[in-house]
Amino acid sequence: MTTSRKTVETLSNDRRMSDETFITLLVASAAVGVFVLASAVVPNFFQPLNMLNLVTNNWAVISLGIGVTFLLVSGNFDLSVGGNVALAGVLAVWLAQSADGAHALSTGFGLPTTLAILLALCGALAIGGLNAFFVVRLRVPSIIVTLGTMMLARGIARVITQGSQRNTNLPDDFGVLGNLTLFDTAVKLPVVLMAALLVVAIVVEKKTVFGRLTYLIGANPVAARLSGVDKARHVTYLYLFSAAIAGAVGILLASEFKSGFSNRGMLMEFDALVISLLGGVAIAGGFGSVVGMVFGALILAVVTSAATGLVLSPDWQFILKAVAVFCAVTTQTWALARRHR
Amino acid sequence: MSESSPAIPNRPACGPRIAQFLRTYYIYFVLLLVVAVLSMANLDRFDLFERGNFLNPNNIINILRVSAPLLTLAGAFTLLMVSGYIDLSVGSAMGLSAVVYALLAINGVPFLPAFAMTIMVGAMLGAINALLVVRLRITPVIATLITLSLFKGLALLLVEDGVSAIKSGGGRSMPAWFNDYGREGVLLGLPMAFWVAVLVTIALIVAQSRTLLGKYAAATGGNPTAAKLSGINTGGIVALLYVIVGITAALAGIARSSFMSLGDPLSGDGMELTAILVVLLGGTAFSGGEGKVLRSFVGALIIMALTVGMLTLVPAYYQTLVLGTALLAAAASNHLVSRKETAS
Amino acid sequence: MAKPRDAVSGSTKGIGVNGHPPTPALSVEGLTKDYPGVRAVDNVSFSIARNTVHCLVGENGAGKSTLVKMLTGALRPTSGTMTVRGAAYAPGSPHDARQGGIATLFQELHVVDQLTVQENLTLGMERSRFGFLVKSDLDRRAVQTLAAIEPSIDPTMRVSALSVAQKQIVEIARAASSGASVIIMDEPTAALSEREVERLFAVIRRLRETDVTVIYISHKLDEIFALGDAVTVLRDGRHIATKSLSDVAGQPELIEMMIGRSVFQTYVPRPSVTDEAVLTAQGLTNHRLKSVSFHINRGEIVGFYGLVGSGKTEIARALFGADTVSGSIRFKGKPVERSPKAAIRSGIALVPEERRTQGLFTSLTLRPNISVMNTRRLSTHGMLRSADERAVAAEYVHKLRIATNSIEKYAEKLSGGNQQKVVIAKCLFADADLLLLDEPTRGVDVGAKTEIYDIIRELADKGRSVAVFSSELEEVLGLCDRIFLLFAGTLEAEIVNGPDVDVSHILHVVTGSGRSVAP
Repeated sequence: MTTSRKTVETLSNDRRMSDETFITLLVASAAVGVFVLASAVVPNFFQPLNMLNLVTNNWAVISLGIGVTFLLVSGNFDLSVGGNVALAGVLAVWLAQSADGAHALSTGFGLPTTLAILLALCGALAIGGLNAFFVVRLRVPSIIVTLGTMMLARGIARVITQGSQRNTNLPDDFGVLGNLTLFDTAVKLPVVLMAALLVVAIVVEKKTVFGRLTYLIGANPVAARLSGVDKARHVTYLYLFSAAIAGAVGILLASEFKSGFSNRGMLMEFDALVISLLGGVAIAGGFGSVVGMVFGALILAVVTSAATGLVLSPDWQFILKAVAVFCAVTTQTWALARRHR
Repeated sequence: MSESSPAIPNRPACGPRIAQFLRTYYIYFVLLLVVAVLSMANLDRFDLFERGNFLNPNNIINILRVSAPLLTLAGAFTLLMVSGYIDLSVGSAMGLSAVVYALLAINGVPFLPAFAMTIMVGAMLGAINALLVVRLRITPVIATLITLSLFKGLALLLVEDGVSAIKSGGGRSMPAWFNDYGREGVLLGLPMAFWVAVLVTIALIVAQSRTLLGKYAAATGGNPTAAKLSGINTGGIVALLYVIVGITAALAGIARSSFMSLGDPLSGDGMELTAILVVLLGGTAFSGGEGKVLRSFVGALIIMALTVGMLTLVPAYYQTLVLGTALLAAAASNHLVSRKETAS
Repeated sequence: MAKPRDAVSGSTKGIGVNGHPPTPALSVEGLTKDYPGVRAVDNVSFSIARNTVHCLVGENGAGKSTLVKMLTGALRPTSGTMTVRGAAYAPGSPHDARQGGIATLFQELHVVDQLTVQENLTLGMERSRFGFLVKSDLDRRAVQTLAAIEPSIDPTMRVSALSVAQKQIVEIARAASSGASVIIMDEPTAALSEREVERLFAVIRRLRETDVTVIYISHKLDEIFALGDAVTVLRDGRHIATKSLSDVAGQPELIEMMIGRSVFQTYVPRPSVTDEAVLTAQGLTNHRLKSVSFHINRGEIVGFYGLVGSGKTEIARALFGADTVSGSIRFKGKPVERSPKAAIRSGIALVPEERRTQGLFTSLTLRPNISVMNTRRLSTHGMLRSADERAVAAEYVHKLRIATNSIEKYAEKLSGGNQQKVVIAKCLFADADLLLLDEPTRGVDVGAKTEIYDIIRELADKGRSVAVFSSELEEVLGLCDRIFLLFAGTLEAEIVNGPDVDVSHILHVVTGSGRSVAP
């Protein structure tokens, strides 16, 4: 009896490293590696301000990466986030613009800022709902659906802004949210919100039933259903959350620049996918972590800013992204195969 | 068919036959409908191109000239999707080919060598995709996202800083023949680029119905296990299809670059979306196995008629919205059709 | 019944034209296949005469499927040789096997739905010039072969428009026209209606006339007598007999050869059985089931016994809410909501048929695998209590003796038996009042099997109810208090287990012998 108690205790105290932690550590060391390398090679790279900027400049993509990572873990793409950023921003501006503008692009609905923001968020959520409907109900592959809604969202934004932007006739309080600095530092509200969102996401991912279900669905949707998991509902939530984050990002950006620009967020869906993949998220589903995604974002940030520091033309960023994702995907396959040999 | 075909006692019943008829020919009705609506709508605004209405020959020639890149690409893209794979890098490959072609031309390479060399570049780009997907077994979506970024980066690097595209200026100028391929009418007022698109499509229609490639592509997409058990080299088929898509992307790049008389690295941006849209509109199943080159060609005509025709009715900034809606609608209708098929 | 041909090569009657025994279509010599810890096929030797229908029978686990996998090149034998028409034969892949003249009709169909019948007939064997398809003799021969065996199939039709039975026939025609001298058919009638079965039999008989040998694998003994010329019986991986069917006295003799013993693991009546019905099902009907009614009592282990395709899995899935079904299901007196989630909440859990694809999260570790069905008990306000979860996982690993040194081991790294125990642990932790187990010991080693039986009995002794859906007679006879016999979607009989159960009666019922099948 005592021996069996002991066995159970030993077993339950077992905290061996999971594959996810292993890959996250790998990504983290890669991030540190490229950082050290960049500091050594690139002149003036190693500066405290520079390091802080690596994160703060990327708050938008990292925030989007949270929703995208959760969806990828559940086995689904979300490429609509970039379009949704544009849509939500444009909607918020349009609704907040006063109704007495001189011409079409400076005339809006004159709603109070808060209400405009809430309604803009609803618009973003509608795109998320559309994603969920097509993926869950009609079972169209998520990549095709979200490519479609990406164009739909951006298309609506373009129509509202007549292909350019709306930036006049806005109430003063519209520019507050995106430019608010906190604690007398240079840290802006969006960065703080991103940090808070990250903390919540990590807790949800690791500690809650909701996070667990996300992994189960991604790992084996059939077994998940037969174990009593409501996959349709869960994936719907995930798309709505991702759309809500994208909407919030779009509104904050619109507030920061006091403009609703229909081309804002171009390629952000792509960057969000890239940092997730760099962070070790597997698109087959059931594998990956938000922490890994953040390190993936750091790698990308270091690599691109180092490239700028080395006076490479900004055009290099596309090639660097391609190489980085290629290395990430192949290294991960190889490292896991070695670990399990 | 073979003359020894026996009598056919069990033809499908009448209802399924109508459904089958609709499935096969709906795309032509859609084309007719789009043309009819556009030719009836607000006529005076067509003076954007020439005076006259939508069915004015000059307007039609204009639309077909602009459509050449998409028409070239649609067939090969269809075959690739029939085999159950996808290529998101076509737009970038097109941009890169456009830049390469313009560079060759501006540096004094005559038409034919420049043409041939660009096509070889396209084949190589396709081979890179094949390498990643078939040999390194990277998921097609990710593999071609990688090359999307890679090709785009290469194209941007080939254009020197401070300039957005390869074009006349700074002491160099495009040769006089550069425009001819994409603009100059050679037959029925239509340029070479359009006729090449037609030839490529005919070649692929023949390939789909009469060659091993077409049959094996359908088998690979329809039932991969059965294809492998039958001794079909599915990897080889997929690799070949990626190369063909690369070649047609290069042809599309040449057409676009010649039409615009510049080598714009971003000239193919979004082409992958339009290609997917056109192929889905043509009734190709995203699960593979199903789809016809000709129907995608017609789908491409519809989309081009819509986008160009729309320009005359509503401002250009409606285009993204229309394409996005069309993509979702095509995906939904595709789903409804395939569900009906499994239900029967 | 047609008189079986002279089918056993080497028998005195089997004299060829020139006075020598004709070369057998296929022979195997000392064929053995070892898995770690198990010898699945043990030194099997027999040969099959040309142009006969040769049946292969044996209980589940007798080694039939391993033998077939070796014949089709999916597995390589540990030792022993195979010969096809006198030539040595050692396929490395199913494609090799086809080249060697052996084609196989698997249970999952290998036709391409999107191609026409004619295109399917020549798939992978086309003639071509510069990549262009060229009409060849093969096309004509294939179409003729198809017309000869089933004239009603139009070769220009798309395969997606055909029924399962017709698709099977297309595959047979493809095999026959590709020059296969042996066609292996693995349970080809499992998904067919009675009329389709008759059709298939006619096709097989015609094939026999065209210099093709058929190896026919089926559990349905009456089919074997209706169709076969000879039979080979396997038991526990060993070859028991190869006989002309005319020398077999009848089904009882065949059954005796298959079972080889009249003594089963003895069933001991259990005192926990009550007659308080916990679940009542009335008139369950769907694509496979035909008005099935039964009840399950508290503290009882009931068995559902039947062959592949008899509707066992469908009943299990219907009770669990995983498939749609009409009819009424009342659990603990209340009608149940039809979804797995609702079933689990109301106290029903299912160990599904396919462990790897339906039961386990192979890419996750044991801990989340064990806790999945009852995360509510391990969470407060949606937050998982990880210490409790680890404790629960450890407890079940220990209780079910799952062979692992860690609860953080990946499920795919475990052996089949231990994987199955993980799935059972998952269902036990769901704390269900009714546990449904579909083929609970398929692909499980003997030791784990006994342990799983003990778990089931212990559960029932505690007053829970268990339903076992199995195609292994030994399993249901050793374990269950009551046994429902299924055939072709109907519940044919109910048997109360005890020392005087008539085994051959059970086999008669589940093989449909009581009914008339193809002449």
